[in-house]
Amino acid sequence: MVGSRVLSLYSRSPSSVSITLYIVMFVVYACAQGHFVATPYGLSVLLNNSISLAVGATSLTFVILTGGFDLSLAGTVALTNTILSVAGFNGVGGAIEALVVVCGVGAIIGTVNGLLVAYYKLQSIAVTLGTMIMTSGIALFMLNAPGGNVPDSIAYGLTGLLGPVPVAIIILVPFTAAMAVLLNYTRFGIGVFAIGQDRTAARASGVNVEWTEFRAYLTAGVVAGLSGYLVSAETGTGDPRFDASFLLLAFAAVAIGGTSFRGGRGTVVGSVVGAGLLELIQKTLFAIGVSSFFTGMFEGALMILAVLVGSLGSLMAARRSAAS
Amino acid sequence: MDEVLQIRNLAKAFGATQALKNISFDIARGEARALLGENGAGKSTCVKILNGLVRPDSGTIRLSGREYRPTGLSDAQRAGVSTAFQELSLIPDLSVAVNLAMPTLPTNGLNLIRFDEVRRRAERTLASYNIFDIDPASLVSSLTLSDKQRLEIIRALSRAPTLLILDEPTAALTDVGWVYERVRALKAEGRAVLFITHRLKEARDLCERATVLRNGEIAGTVDLREASDNELFRLMIGRSMGTAFPDRPDKVKPTNEDQHDDIVLSVEGLRSGTFGPATLSVRQGEIVGVAALEGQGQRALFNALAGIERITAGEVRVRGQRVKLKSPAVAKKHGISFVPEERKEEGLFFGLLTRANISISNIGHVRRWGLVARNAEIEGISGVSGAVDLHLRYHDFPVDALSGGNQQKALIARALFAGPRCLLMFDPTRGVDVGTKQAIYSVIRKAASEGTGILLYSTELRELTALSDRCVVIYGNRIVGERRSESLKEEELLERMHHGHAESAKEEVQGGREPRAKSL
Repeated sequence: MVGSRVLSLYSRSPSSVSITLYIVMFVVYACAQGHFVATPYGLSVLLNNSISLAVGATSLTFVILTGGFDLSLAGTVALTNTILSVAGFNGVGGAIEALVVVCGVGAIIGTVNGLLVAYYKLQSIAVTLGTMIMTSGIALFMLNAPGGNVPDSIAYGLTGLLGPVPVAIIILVPFTAAMAVLLNYTRFGIGVFAIGQDRTAARASGVNVEWTEFRAYLTAGVVAGLSGYLVSAETGTGDPRFDASFLLLAFAAVAIGGTSFRGGRGTVVGSVVGAGLLELIQKTLFAIGVSSFFTGMFEGALMILAVLVGSLGSLMAARRSAAS
Repeated sequence: MDEVLQIRNLAKAFGATQALKNISFDIARGEARALLGENGAGKSTCVKILNGLVRPDSGTIRLSGREYRPTGLSDAQRAGVSTAFQELSLIPDLSVAVNLAMPTLPTNGLNLIRFDEVRRRAERTLASYNIFDIDPASLVSSLTLSDKQRLEIIRALSRAPTLLILDEPTAALTDVGWVYERVRALKAEGRAVLFITHRLKEARDLCERATVLRNGEIAGTVDLREASDNELFRLMIGRSMGTAFPDRPDKVKPTNEDQHDDIVLSVEGLRSGTFGPATLSVRQGEIVGVAALEGQGQRALFNALAGIERITAGEVRVRGQRVKLKSPAVAKKHGISFVPEERKEEGLFFGLLTRANISISNIGHVRRWGLVARNAEIEGISGVSGAVDLHLRYHDFPVDALSGGNQQKALIARALFAGPRCLLMFDPTRGVDVGTKQAIYSVIRKAASEGTGILLYSTELRELTALSDRCVVIYGNRIVGERRSESLKEEELLERMHHGHAESAKEEVQGGREPRAKSL
């Protein structure tokens, strides 16, 4: 009885699975690592390695909620990372300028995706795969081998501490809150859920389906640009052939966070926590001395487990309604 | 200006099918008009045009005197046309309150939605319709079908439309009284209502006049206070359209009703989803017709027998042997072949060749050296494609290059290729031309004469009365009546389809003679 109540909570609130898992894993990690974990420095190390993935997963969430897929994240990150490492922005002013530029680049990519998917009705996977390959190509053209330097104002400014607080927290918390508000408290956000659940009904309810879908891709593009900005801060260098496993991990974070790849169900918070969880697992396994070869196995199993738990509740509900 | 809606010479064709032609009618201020007609008569095309979901080929519509050409649903709503759809247009995993407020959710200065206001408005709206048992905070997906339908109607009403369209709104409603009240209130305010329904009683309760559609044309507009049910039915069916049916073969029917050895398919107490319980049997060489209005459960019956939907209770026997139809493959193994309704979605593989589409149900029979060989395939299917009159030259075309009629022939050929003992046909002549219909009629007859038992659902009653040996009527997920073909009259079937068993007492009076088969 209690079990079924917990399950129904998990199915109703998709992010609760990942939050529970995160707390459990954090305790394990803390036990293995000792008091170091709870220090500001320990927290900032943990966050700095997962914040770009969290923002990248958030970018994917918008498109996945509409029922589409966005692979262009990998290309956007590669391109913006390359731009930051070769363009020579300087100082705090340069860091802000750079932020505007990368978000602008993301917006352009998102606009192309959105136009082609929402208005020309092309398949989202094909379109975004195309833009991903194209933007990676541009990045490679700009910088033909890993190198270049991300301005110190970004590389150090975003990864350090501000007083006792990790800068990453100062970025991540307001960002997550803003994105959650955008999805849950605006007409656009409600429209995203509506078209992801039932396109016909959304249209019949007066939602401008194309415009909503377009804006979802646009938002995803801008957020992907931001993700590239954070990746650059983290690595401090440019890499035009940015690791495609980042994209797959971001998808895994979305799935662990309880967002349905069928569209219409999910949360930003879940995706952010999901990304943190993937990082936490890596660190925990390392801390307790498990070979890093096993990391992938654990992460994959965790993802399947999260998807399974998330769907158990609805499976049981379906069985109940069939029985009655 | 006394007409709220003025339709002139509206026409719409889908491919070769003329869905609407020369439709003209008006609805006056304060009038509720019923739109009646058989399935496929053009009612839903009318609704779609009025909502901007389908553009008419020609003709004009005026709304309150102004030209009205909606480009989509929201455009129609802005112009003052609001529809409660039969297929609900609510978003399942959003709350009742949000659904009611869509699409213009109230926002504050920061453009953020004020959920407290959304909820207050929903409470106010629900209360104004005397509905207190629906929690505005609950998700639509958690409501019963009847509550969803209420919500759908309330949402349409709350937009204060000039023209309210109710597209069979009462199908799932348990209590229709409050809808009546609301419609009367709208009429008193000088608004107009278009009421699409299959239930004559409701049409009479709400509307003064009814416009009857038949085959995409207006069969007549009548005063409901004067016209009898039979007159309406006659308008809906019309005279014979000149389609010739193959002659009934003079085969000797078994006289002993209790003789069971030639029953190919029988079900007892069958339930599937909301359908049932149903008891039914099909004999060897017998054509059993199924007559039903849209959405009475006939689809569930066919899907269950084809192994597509799960059978939750009851017994199915194929030639006396108990079977479990767990999947379409199992059904096929037992000799049950299915011609589905939607040849595009449920039937054909677009992109595959026609011959592959036909042989796919029994691909094992057209192999040579373990591979599918063109010659073996063509040879294998030549019999069935000849039977359905599908010319050999079509075989090497992708099936989507064929006309709708030839596609349908290919689909039937596939069903026959499986060598069925029992053939389930769900509206096999839908959307095909007269020539193809003739061909399909002969196929049905021929298959029956060769011993196949056939269960045939059709939206065209003429087909049922002309082809079947026996006809069952389904209403409200149950079989409510059965007739031998000798006594089969369309009007009688239609009457039964509209009233179910609740008013079965009428049939002797109105049919004017005693039914020979006993009713269930």
